[in-house]
Amino acid sequence: MVGIGYRKDFAADFAESNTLHPAFIEVAPENWIGVGGYWKKQFQKALEKYPLFTHGLSLSIGSPDPLDFVFLKQVKKFLQQTNAVLYSEHLSYAKCDNAHLYDLLPIPFTEAAVHHVAENIKQVQDFLERKIAIEIVSYYTPVAPELTEIDFINAILEEANCDLLLDVNNVYVNSFNHQYDAKTFIAQLPMQRVKYIHMAGHEKVADDLIIDTHGEAIIDPVYDLFAFTIQQLQRDVPVLLERDFNIPELHELQYELNKLNQIKQQALQPAIYATL
Amino acid sequence: MQPYNLTQSYQSQLAGYCRTGQWNHIPGVHTGHVQQYRRLVYNVIDDMLRNAFPVMSELVTKQEWDEVVQFFFSSHSCHSPQVWYMPKEFYQFVLNSQHALLQQYPCLAALMQYEWMEVELFMMEDRTVPHTTLGDVVFSKLVLNPEHTLMALPYPVHQKKATAITKADKGNYFIAGYRNTNGDVLFTDLSPALVRMIEYLSVTPLSVKQLIEQLESEFQLILTETDKQAVIQFFETAYMQQLIIGFADN
Repeated sequence: MVGIGYRKDFAADFAESNTLHPAFIEVAPENWIGVGGYWKKQFQKALEKYPLFTHGLSLSIGSPDPLDFVFLKQVKKFLQQTNAVLYSEHLSYAKCDNAHLYDLLPIPFTEAAVHHVAENIKQVQDFLERKIAIEIVSYYTPVAPELTEIDFINAILEEANCDLLLDVNNVYVNSFNHQYDAKTFIAQLPMQRVKYIHMAGHEKVADDLIIDTHGEAIIDPVYDLFAFTIQQLQRDVPVLLERDFNIPELHELQYELNKLNQIKQQALQPAIYATL
Repeated sequence: MQPYNLTQSYQSQLAGYCRTGQWNHIPGVHTGHVQQYRRLVYNVIDDMLRNAFPVMSELVTKQEWDEVVQFFFSSHSCHSPQVWYMPKEFYQFVLNSQHALLQQYPCLAALMQYEWMEVELFMMEDRTVPHTTLGDVVFSKLVLNPEHTLMALPYPVHQKKATAITKADKGNYFIAGYRNTNGDVLFTDLSPALVRMIEYLSVTPLSVKQLIEQLESEFQLILTETDKQAVIQFFETAYMQQLIIGFADN
């Protein structure tokens, strides 16, 4: 199944036409909690037609600040009310010194951070009474690292016993920005923990830097990496197309959904061996 | 192994840099690329505030806008995990800090109040009250739209272009803001007497006759027939525009 990030920019067109027909939709709970009126009506219409996956932005699971259980309680209620299939968050921090920054900052790859973040994830899972999936974020600089990125991620997944949201575009972006092989990186991830995949476009802003904008179409090398990922997985996993800016016509989004579905089906076909 | 307080300190330094632009060395950081974080974080704040305060962002100069946004973001700790709610903190920050722009643009506080109220009414959670559409504006008990707010503004920011407002416009302007069933936010001008009647209705449904009697009793006055007709006409319009959503069952 391939879904789409539900955005206000196309909500009205989406509700009124069948041009775009994803298998599910995804939203950030914080963008919809406590919202009524026009947007609530639009959202309810979408919920009547599609299962909901959720992807948080503000929980700040990697923050040095304590977890915000008041907010988490609102998230829990939202997940229950919307019958959300899955809740995921970013392996990053968006709040520090009691101030929200509303963007995703990179956590230092340190052993101390592994223990702190894993403990936070465990607390969130206990509170929500469900496993959560953690997304590997794109990052533009390491911060005081003492571990490699792959060791940092795998240690957290193991210690927290949580699921993994594998954003294939993020791995591509990171492999370019930090000069490593994306396929080798993916091959080292614990594939049994992958419960969800994100796909998106990005923007190259300098010879040595790509920014994860979600504002462009997916490029071929990221599709290739996606095919490799599915071959590694050897099972079907929900896949999401993220498009947050420069939203194209709905038929163009549907084209990308179809392409993702097609690549996934091809990658999952059993290999045909010649027999003598 | 790095102690956790050192990891914490590096996280705090990076977040501080994003907010203030003041860079302190952090080991391992690509100094060319780290600037992207400050740019990206600032753009989120700037975009949200421009969307919430479109008239204000056009009223002040670009330099004034950039300075007040930067001042806000660097010195105020944003508490809401919901980014759409952050502009309210900006509005309160400008007021509480007695920002110099308030002197330079006398209508600014009223403008920000008005612009934020429009956002809040548009986004606020649905509120429902029991009511029926079977009734008569003149004789039935009126039910007020629960998705409303009353505002007293010192400048007519809802009537005139902000750039055309001067100190000579200073006065008492009362308006009701409310959300109709389409989700649109509407504003209606009110006289002080109508403000009081709306306040009566926010407590309990009352008929126009009861509203007039309560007003006359509270202020020890007698409304003329012309005044009473004007009140009826106001509530007929208010019903059509959904400031009044219907009638009480009994």
